[in-house]
Amino acid sequence: MIAFKREKKEEEEASSNPYQNLEKTTVLQEARAFNDNVINHRKCTLILSKILYLLNQGESFGTTEATETFFAMTRLFQSKDPVLRRMVYLGIKELSHIAEDVIIVTSSLTKDMTGKEDHYRGAAIRALCTITDSSMLQALERYLKQAIVDKLPSVSSAALVRAYHLTSTNGELVKRWVSEAQEAINSDNVMVQYHALGVLYHIRKADRLAVTKLVGKLAKSHLKSPFAVALLIRIAAKLVDEEDNPVESPFFDFLEACLRHKSELVIFEAAHAIINLKKITPRELNPAISVLQLFCSSSKPALKFAAVRTLNKVAITHPASVTNCNVDLENLITDPNRSIATLAITTLLKTGAESSIDRLMKQIASFVSEISDEFKVVVVQAIKSLCLKFPRKHSTLMQFLSALLRDEGGLDYKAAIADTIITIIEENPEAKETGLSHLCEFIEDCEHTSLAVRILHLLAPVRAAAVSALAQFAAFCPNLLSNILVLLMRCQMDSDDEVRDRATLYYQLLSTDNKTLTNQYILNTLQSSVVALEKALGSYIQSSTDQPFDIKAVPLVQAVPEGPKAAPTFDAPKKQEINKPVVNEASFTDELTKIPELARIPLGGLFKSCEKQQLTEAETEYVVTVKKHVFNRFFVLQFGVQNTLADQLLEKVHIQLELPDGFNQVAEVRIPKLPYNQPATAYAVVTWPDDIEVASSGTIGAALKFVVKDCDPDTGLPDSDEGYDDEYVLEDIDISLCDHLLGVSRPNFAASWDELKEEREETYALSSASSIPEAVKNITSFLGIQPCDRTDRVPEGKSSHVLLLAGVFRGGVEVLAKAKLVLSDGVNLQLTVRSPIDSIAELITSAIG
Amino acid sequence: MGLFDRLAGLFGLRKREVNVLVVGLDNSGKSTLLNHFKPDDHKSGDVVPTIGFNVEKFQNKNVAFTAFDMSGQGRYRSLWEHYYKDCQGIIFVVDSSDKLRFVVAKDELDTLLQHPDIANRRIPILFFANKMDVKEAMSAVKISAALGLDRISNKPWHICASNAVTGEGLQEGVEWLTGQIWEYLERRR
Repeated sequence: MIAFKREKKEEEEASSNPYQNLEKTTVLQEARAFNDNVINHRKCTLILSKILYLLNQGESFGTTEATETFFAMTRLFQSKDPVLRRMVYLGIKELSHIAEDVIIVTSSLTKDMTGKEDHYRGAAIRALCTITDSSMLQALERYLKQAIVDKLPSVSSAALVRAYHLTSTNGELVKRWVSEAQEAINSDNVMVQYHALGVLYHIRKADRLAVTKLVGKLAKSHLKSPFAVALLIRIAAKLVDEEDNPVESPFFDFLEACLRHKSELVIFEAAHAIINLKKITPRELNPAISVLQLFCSSSKPALKFAAVRTLNKVAITHPASVTNCNVDLENLITDPNRSIATLAITTLLKTGAESSIDRLMKQIASFVSEISDEFKVVVVQAIKSLCLKFPRKHSTLMQFLSALLRDEGGLDYKAAIADTIITIIEENPEAKETGLSHLCEFIEDCEHTSLAVRILHLLAPVRAAAVSALAQFAAFCPNLLSNILVLLMRCQMDSDDEVRDRATLYYQLLSTDNKTLTNQYILNTLQSSVVALEKALGSYIQSSTDQPFDIKAVPLVQAVPEGPKAAPTFDAPKKQEINKPVVNEASFTDELTKIPELARIPLGGLFKSCEKQQLTEAETEYVVTVKKHVFNRFFVLQFGVQNTLADQLLEKVHIQLELPDGFNQVAEVRIPKLPYNQPATAYAVVTWPDDIEVASSGTIGAALKFVVKDCDPDTGLPDSDEGYDDEYVLEDIDISLCDHLLGVSRPNFAASWDELKEEREETYALSSASSIPEAVKNITSFLGIQPCDRTDRVPEGKSSHVLLLAGVFRGGVEVLAKAKLVLSDGVNLQLTVRSPIDSIAELITSAIG
Repeated sequence: MGLFDRLAGLFGLRKREVNVLVVGLDNSGKSTLLNHFKPDDHKSGDVVPTIGFNVEKFQNKNVAFTAFDMSGQGRYRSLWEHYYKDCQGIIFVVDSSDKLRFVVAKDELDTLLQHPDIANRRIPILFFANKMDVKEAMSAVKISAALGLDRISNKPWHICASNAVTGEGLQEGVEWLTGQIWEYLERRR
């Protein structure tokens, strides 16, 4: 002990680290003192400290060096000095991974472990378990089991902690120690109880039933150790989280009961566990939050910090529940501890109203320079969510961010700011100009290359794309137009064709200064299917060309969110066999024109094809599927029919439709013969009603009608010419709004939005959806149109979201929709739809509900 | 060494600390032997096979011994050599009743004697022909012949029959060793 004190004194006197300039070879030379006949324990302790220091600094020791040092060190067992002995234990543990034959100290350590000197025993257990392999452990098992139930807490804890670590390498062995660990859990010592629970849980971790039993038993037994209770809470919370309905779990009561425990540690752990349950409702949350609220006014900084940090986290998911604490949080803003103050402010920002933002921002600005980078990132993230919540406040927030961007700070911090600005730009078109200019200013003297590249990437990917981007800038910000025209003019002399072409096009477009033109050709580009367009142009050139080419007649590309549905290939129809379902628009139109009954109908261009729908159960006598192909004035029902009865031949097969009012069937194609197991196709052509509201929903009854002839299952030839009429009722075919709508991607939603003036707005409460991502999914699939600007991805934990949707109504009418979603009890939806034709907008707004 | 030191040494006033190495085949009685030298309250009741080594301290006259009780099991014998360098005496224990393994003991002894850290030093070696009480035990003379001790020319050696359990013969041997070590250390000065 004296040696320790002395060293400490020396350390204080010398301002620099006394171990700073150690040489490994010198230290190893000094280590020869271990071999002296008379051990100078003070000197040896110092040398061992040096060796440990070198090892911890990452100095590499060769096997021979390490082994020699190790064996020299073993001689120190002759010294009875407790400080030196403890250093030897540490040395053994550190060198055991490098040196050979470390097993040599087994007997000496076993002696210390079972000996009378109490403060050797715990350390000896730890050292012993590090040097032994699994074969030797068997021999030591007896001692370790005894140690677990030793009445000395330090020994018992040491053995338990070792057992915990051994479970990963020698799980089977440790499993045999359960009864000892059970005994240890009844110990009066807080640490032993905690460690024993850790071991018991670790052994049973894989067995859910055993864990449930363990927690159930211990939850009732009132553990004395707050640490053990805290651990038990964590285990219980894990079990509760796995339940579908957490509140009904018996362990949830335990968690709630722990909120009234006398130890603050346990109370906090319980509150933290409840708050972090995945499926928790505000009602169950409240007791936990009120406990944290009490902590907020505690005198202990650690408690205040823990409480406000947890509140800060829960404010993201359940802002309403945290508002109760606002008064307490306001008091914490002026807390001398900056970390607490920062968390309090950011929590308030998340829960507060729009009106309080300016005041809070001012308060943050007053001390933002005093806090560490880590907390600055927290602030920036809070601002990010704030911007998304209150888009109108962007100017205040953006100003604050740009000020932060100019300050000193590490990469993480700067990246967080840049990220936030980028997100704001993406989400909020109004902020685009200021945001971009802040970013540009930042990269001028940015020291982090990776960030600069990211921003440049955002600004202009490659030259050709850069030209397009430039043109887009110009279209966005008319005050940049003249500068960009100069740039584009220069680009017309570029060596690359693509760049020149684009530059010329954009230059011409921009110099006309015609808003509609720029909108159509720069901001929102072509959405027609390229293949279909090529084909349409080809046939147009071959015709008389006295009428102008109508681009609206060209089928549009359905914006495909995922990969597998690739763009249609041109030669596909030739290879396609009749029994393969027709997939893409171009080939389907081809196929229809080959059928004489249908060729006479002026169908026009295909608008969209819907997903295949089953009209029968999977394993029935006749299998029928239907696919809707939507045209401007008609829709074609394509029925795939299959006969699964080997002893039947079907003839004159057709599908009889029961159409709602307003729908008219104008043609049908029957299947003359349908032998066993040969799929065939029947068609029906129906006109849309003129009233789009009638057309937007309906149910078509369907029945399969045919003449049955019994036949020989082997040859398939009918037994007689006589047949009888039969009918097979099919499931109804639904017509819904999404049949009329086709999603298209609008790279620049805002410009298109501004171009359309007619607007319809409606507010709903979606009771069926409990989260924003779920609501987004429901709306998108119901309307069948395409989310824009990546608004279908909802950042986790946000309480409000704006979904932008773009699509085309049957006949080529543009439809844009903004869906503002706010999480309250259910999800509240404010849907605004713009379309050139008011009735369509009205139809869409009224369709949800 | 001054006159005073010499006198102090002679009268047993000055204490000397020495390291001795206790080696021998497994189950020859090394740990039991050292156990005998411990004070009564530190004696361990049951002696188990040593794994690696143990350090024991005992005193004889004015010499304090630090004995490294090495494990005799086959896989640990190669570790003896780590401790050769800094010992001032060797105690080699032989189980007198284990005739079969005399050759093994001889082999280990030869290896020890040829080791560079031992070969050229005039280091005293004490042999204990242990377990003399066992019926089929061989006499010390026969064992010395079996081990070929007469070949050892450059080191003082001594063999005495012993019974580690009762302590018979141990004192005689250790007294010889004390005297030899004293002499050995004197000569090195």
